[in-house]
Amino acid sequence: MRKSWKKGLAVLTMAATATASLAGCGGGGSASTTAAPETTAAQTEAAAGQTTAAAQTEAAAPAGETTYPLTNGGKLTYWLQLNSNVSANFTNLGDTELGKQWQEQTGVQIEFQHPAAGQEKEQFNLIVADGNLPDIMEYGWVNSYPGGPEKAIRDGVIISLNDVFEQYCPNITKYLAEHPDIDKSIKTDDGNYFAFPFIRGEEKLRVTVGAFLRKDWLDELGLEVPTTVDEWHTVLTAFKEQKGAESPFCFDWANFKDKNLIAYAYETSYTYYVGEDGKVHYGPVEDNFKKYLETMHQWYSEGLIDKDIATLNGDQVTAKMTTDKAGASIGWAASRMQVFMTTAQKTNPDYLLVPTPYPTLEKGDTPTWGYIENAFPDVGAAITTSCKDVETAAKFLDYAYGEAGHNLMNFGIEGVSYEMKDGVPTYTDLILNNPDGWPLAHSLAKYIRANYNGPFVQDGYYIEQYLQLPTVKECPSTWTVPGADKYVLPNVTALQEESKELATLNNEISTYVDEMVLKFIFGTESLDNWDNYVNTVNNMNLARALEIQNSALDRYNAR
Amino acid sequence: MQGNSFSVRVKKDFRRNWSLYVLVLPVLIFYIIFHYKPMYGAIIAFKDFIPAKGIMGSEWVGMYNFERFFKSAYFVRLMRNTLLLSIYNIIFGFPAPIILALLLNEVKNKKFKSITQTITYLPHFISLVVACGMIKDFCLSTGIFNDIIALFGGERSALLQNPAYYRTIYTASSIWQEVGWGSIIYLSALSGVDSQLYEAASIDGAGKWKQLLHVTLPSIMPTIIIMLILRMGSLMSMGYEKTILLYNPSTYETSDIISSYVYRVGLQEQDWSYSTAIGLFNSVINCFLLVVTNKISKKFTETSLW
Repeated sequence: MRKSWKKGLAVLTMAATATASLAGCGGGGSASTTAAPETTAAQTEAAAGQTTAAAQTEAAAPAGETTYPLTNGGKLTYWLQLNSNVSANFTNLGDTELGKQWQEQTGVQIEFQHPAAGQEKEQFNLIVADGNLPDIMEYGWVNSYPGGPEKAIRDGVIISLNDVFEQYCPNITKYLAEHPDIDKSIKTDDGNYFAFPFIRGEEKLRVTVGAFLRKDWLDELGLEVPTTVDEWHTVLTAFKEQKGAESPFCFDWANFKDKNLIAYAYETSYTYYVGEDGKVHYGPVEDNFKKYLETMHQWYSEGLIDKDIATLNGDQVTAKMTTDKAGASIGWAASRMQVFMTTAQKTNPDYLLVPTPYPTLEKGDTPTWGYIENAFPDVGAAITTSCKDVETAAKFLDYAYGEAGHNLMNFGIEGVSYEMKDGVPTYTDLILNNPDGWPLAHSLAKYIRANYNGPFVQDGYYIEQYLQLPTVKECPSTWTVPGADKYVLPNVTALQEESKELATLNNEISTYVDEMVLKFIFGTESLDNWDNYVNTVNNMNLARALEIQNSALDRYNAR
Repeated sequence: MQGNSFSVRVKKDFRRNWSLYVLVLPVLIFYIIFHYKPMYGAIIAFKDFIPAKGIMGSEWVGMYNFERFFKSAYFVRLMRNTLLLSIYNIIFGFPAPIILALLLNEVKNKKFKSITQTITYLPHFISLVVACGMIKDFCLSTGIFNDIIALFGGERSALLQNPAYYRTIYTASSIWQEVGWGSIIYLSALSGVDSQLYEAASIDGAGKWKQLLHVTLPSIMPTIIIMLILRMGSLMSMGYEKTILLYNPSTYETSDIISSYVYRVGLQEQDWSYSTAIGLFNSVINCFLLVVTNKISKKFTETSLW
């Protein structure tokens, strides 16, 4: 009897291990990536840093100009996701020319740490749960950290940067003073700065995604670039019937379901948005969204939309778009449209894609809705509570907001990766025609960070040179819908006690909505059941979710 | 009195067999460090765990996290999907390696046997991500399965976007990947069967089929039973990896299982307490199933884990 009880316990243990590994709570676990000798080094540096900090506060209280490189730089750890354009050729940002220059110019030694691709969130969570944090962490603090940045500060993960900005960061302080809109979005409701933000410096940088289609087919068929939903239908039908495209409209739903230009034509959105009344609305339960789904369902059953749209990935879309199986797609200007063109033109020199403007329902109307990103797309480098030398970390990060740092992040090294021509930083041949035959995105990523993100202000000259092909260069202007950004919900944060509730609500609602929207489109669920669907969403307490979002928006506006 | 004699016995035994105790020590340490110590962390299921406050410092919330799960709009669906997929995997997936092993056992050509064995267990070594990528490609409306369907005049459709097909695809692909590997243990059990038994049976006039029923199967029955009991113990603990690789929102109805839901809600939303609570719930059910299966097996077959 006693024996069998013991074995039972052993079995229970084994079963519970699954729980434990999920929770990742080893207490003083051995999961930390920092080796012991480094810790001691960091501590010594920290001690040195503190004395200088004290000395400086005595000497000059307000932030003056910082001279780079710092003479007493020290060593810091910096955790960030390694962008796929970098990881194509490098395993660590410190190995790139940018990483080396960044350290050299600031005089701060950085040990970059990167999570495995695709596991950023899990690994971030494990690091936070472990409590042994790197000095600087780059993350989506507003949307990816549950409860938002204010909670991250109260949880003791990161520090409030108000005093830090004031004391050590003249560059970013200056920028924020000149841009009150940005200033508002990188503060919490309580007025705490939480990170050194990635900022899209100009509007054209915020229009990153849109639709494009085969211009050579249009010309051949004698059709114009469509500007209404009906014209889209005509064009797609012609692609299917006359050009033999098996799936005329093809994109990966998982990435672009909330950026579909057809939805915007019906003046609705897959997500929360700010309506004309200044309140937060949820698109997928509105009548306009039903009309959008009716159109999508019709197109799907006519075979105009790819049959496998829900399971497609980017490679499959690329394959279809470059082999005449599809003729229209939604995606990024450079990493999709430009790539499709350069790939396909090798075998078919006539292959030509053009960006399409956002369509309307009536011919001649001006579109009012379109996809546009927040100027602060929720990527920011925060200083953690584990950082012993806040001053060095702050000065290191502030560098990128000054002129020299700005050029380094956007254009790289003068004389190597760019040259000034008529006052305009211009990429050299080393970048544009990489000697190793790397694609542009990869060769850029060796020298700059502007083609993805990071703690700096992105420069408009970057995109003008990054988009190389003539029709791709038209993307930002074609895809810009004036005034569309008024519908975009800014990076609001719910109150700490409400955030978990909101996350739970959002999760239940989006699980159901994601499922039903696809079923409506595929026709596995009839749109006659629309009212049931809306009722179910309402029963999941959408009203409460909207209430929380609205009060968050009110607090945001009051910042 | 009893305790005293026990410790005396242990001491005596230790002196005699000390080398065996040393041998078992690393295993003991392994279990204590990696399996028992982490159990302490399971108490965050009853807390509102905030990493900075630590496990003890976080606030107690009682059964709140469990209630949240039970009251979730998807609780019933998640339980149903998890159990059904698991049961399908047992009904169809459990006998498959046994049948394969029995078939292979009858093959007399050594070369053919080893080639077949290698081919059937190779899929086991394909990484799950790659395997699922292959399955997804095969299931496309332009994939190989649809090519076959079209060949026989059927209509092409996206197989992984239809909830009705999901369980079949999931179960069949699991069998494809694991059948060869799973048969190894039965093959080794089969090689231990006394050949005299077969001779005796054939003298008594038993054909191949009767030999199988009355000699082979009873001989490997203990192995089968133990494997089944172990399998039952993991009935509820379906891993999320394969599910999140194969599913998409349009098949949530049949594909969303407890662990994939925990993955979406818990791990991605950093709700550690919630995911631990669900994990703990899973473990308790698993443990219960294990004990029950063991009891039943003990009663009817005299084979059991303990």
